[in-house]
Amino acid sequence: MRKFLAIVGREWRAYFLSPLAWVILAAFLLLNGYVFTVILAVLNEPGAPKDQALLYLFANGFTSWFTLFLVPVIAMRLFPEERRSGTIEVLLTSPVTEAEVVLGKFAGALGFYLTLWAPSLIYVWILRSHARIDLGPVASAYVGIALLGGYFVSVGTFASTLTKNQIVAAILTFALLVPIFSVGLLDYLIRDPKTREGLSYLNMWVHLEEFARGIVDTRRLVYYVSATAFFLFLATASLAAKKETP
Amino acid sequence: MIEVQNLTKRYPTQVAVEDVSFSVREGEIVGFLGPNAAGKTTTMRVLTGFLPPTAGTARIAGHDIVTQSRRARSRLGYLPESAALYPEMRVREYLAFRARLEEVPAREVHARVEEVVESCLLAEVANRKIENLSKGYRQRTALAGALVHRPPVLILDEPTVGLDPAQIIKIREMIRTLGRERAVLLSTHILPEVDAVCDRVLIIDRGRIVAEGTPGELRARLAGKPVVRSAFRGSVTAAREELARLPGVVAVEVVEDGLETRARLECEANGDPREEIFHLAVSKGWILRELALDVGSLEDVFVRLTRHEEPTAAAPQEPAALEPAEPPAPAPEAPEAS
Repeated sequence: MRKFLAIVGREWRAYFLSPLAWVILAAFLLLNGYVFTVILAVLNEPGAPKDQALLYLFANGFTSWFTLFLVPVIAMRLFPEERRSGTIEVLLTSPVTEAEVVLGKFAGALGFYLTLWAPSLIYVWILRSHARIDLGPVASAYVGIALLGGYFVSVGTFASTLTKNQIVAAILTFALLVPIFSVGLLDYLIRDPKTREGLSYLNMWVHLEEFARGIVDTRRLVYYVSATAFFLFLATASLAAKKETP
Repeated sequence: MIEVQNLTKRYPTQVAVEDVSFSVREGEIVGFLGPNAAGKTTTMRVLTGFLPPTAGTARIAGHDIVTQSRRARSRLGYLPESAALYPEMRVREYLAFRARLEEVPAREVHARVEEVVESCLLAEVANRKIENLSKGYRQRTALAGALVHRPPVLILDEPTVGLDPAQIIKIREMIRTLGRERAVLLSTHILPEVDAVCDRVLIIDRGRIVAEGTPGELRARLAGKPVVRSAFRGSVTAAREELARLPGVVAVEVVEDGLETRARLECEANGDPREEIFHLAVSKGWILRELALDVGSLEDVFVRLTRHEEPTAAAPQEPAALEPAEPPAPAPEAPEAS
């Protein structure tokens, strides 16, 4: 456990020691700030539904698409950087398992992703001082954000074990995430009710909206957690398989 | 502490290490010598658990590298080729990370980090970022990282590559000190390093061990026959005849230029007719100008064992023996391509 935490800590800190992290953080704050001002403008309209205000902070198209671009950039350095510098050899010859390495790196990257979201708590606090906000849905919205982030980061972790090149890792992650994210959107296009029902299980837009409304559906929990576990398993297997070749 | 038995590592297209067996005892420094791409790094990567062996096995401090991989790994300190480090971390921070990774108890991490900072002479750079360090300090930081958990077994892949002469001497001193209570396996393609540091040498070529022994033994066994060079003033016509009669002399070559007569005597193993040559010169009234014994350098052994173009029988006696028997010049430190 201590070794796992050592890897998580190193990984998380490494983000803040590179300029990329600060660029991502700045872009993310800018986007969230813009969304927030839009929300405020909507709230200032007469007769605006004040209880739904926060819904749009978490469940808006911007956030979903931005996450889709963001996660590949966050995850792309995880393993390629270690391979390039040779530190992967140090890591894998110390008494840790491949699973510990994968989980540690995943948790570090997810930690960075969640750190990006941390400043949004200020918006919650600001809104709270001007309108009545139910904290239940706020908490569940963050759960949704974390679950979506975990899923995406696990895909990125897996993709980064496949290559030595960060750009290739980022593109690969993006190529995997786009179908994962958009297959649910077919929900809106297909007429056949059975297929539509199936697809609606995968519609992340809807999932985020549910979470933001305070609905924590166990089917969603199972989907995100098991998909995350699946990709982390693939990442571990891929890392172990890579040992066979120099 | 390190026991290797019939270790083989094959890649889909080539055999990197073929049926290698050797052992390293506690308190012993063993040099792993070979040309580039001979299988040194691959062998070390298998021993450290980074690559799985295709066949055969090895034990680190009694733990099998395949079935007890984690235990074996926890007993060894590994310095990979080209000192892999995290450039964005500070030296102390990196060493503390390595200590946690290597299961040093939380209470001791700080003390252990200070211990290796001191022993690896890193005090003045301990709070600097690794990316801003010179190559020598980086190498020492990586070595400190391999030592922070006090492993009984050390595996060092080309520990002095890319360092300047003063740094090389420092690192070698450190390795010698470390080797007193540990089993150390170090790879190199720099011959003087083996003479300077190692108790025993393994010469590996194309994935096989081709010779093993102390540097002295290898020289004696493989460097060819001892050669005595002598020179006399003026033209000594009887030299060839008289010298050939001395005990232990196998062959004599004489070169004469009017001013000086130079003789090269090939002797039997362990033969040393220098004193006889002196007496002979005195009794005949020859004026002796030069008398020296060449015992062949480790470089000769190495070149002979790893030369592939020619059959080993036609060993390079001629050039090797005509050179003065000074310590071989440092080999060019080309990075190993593997």
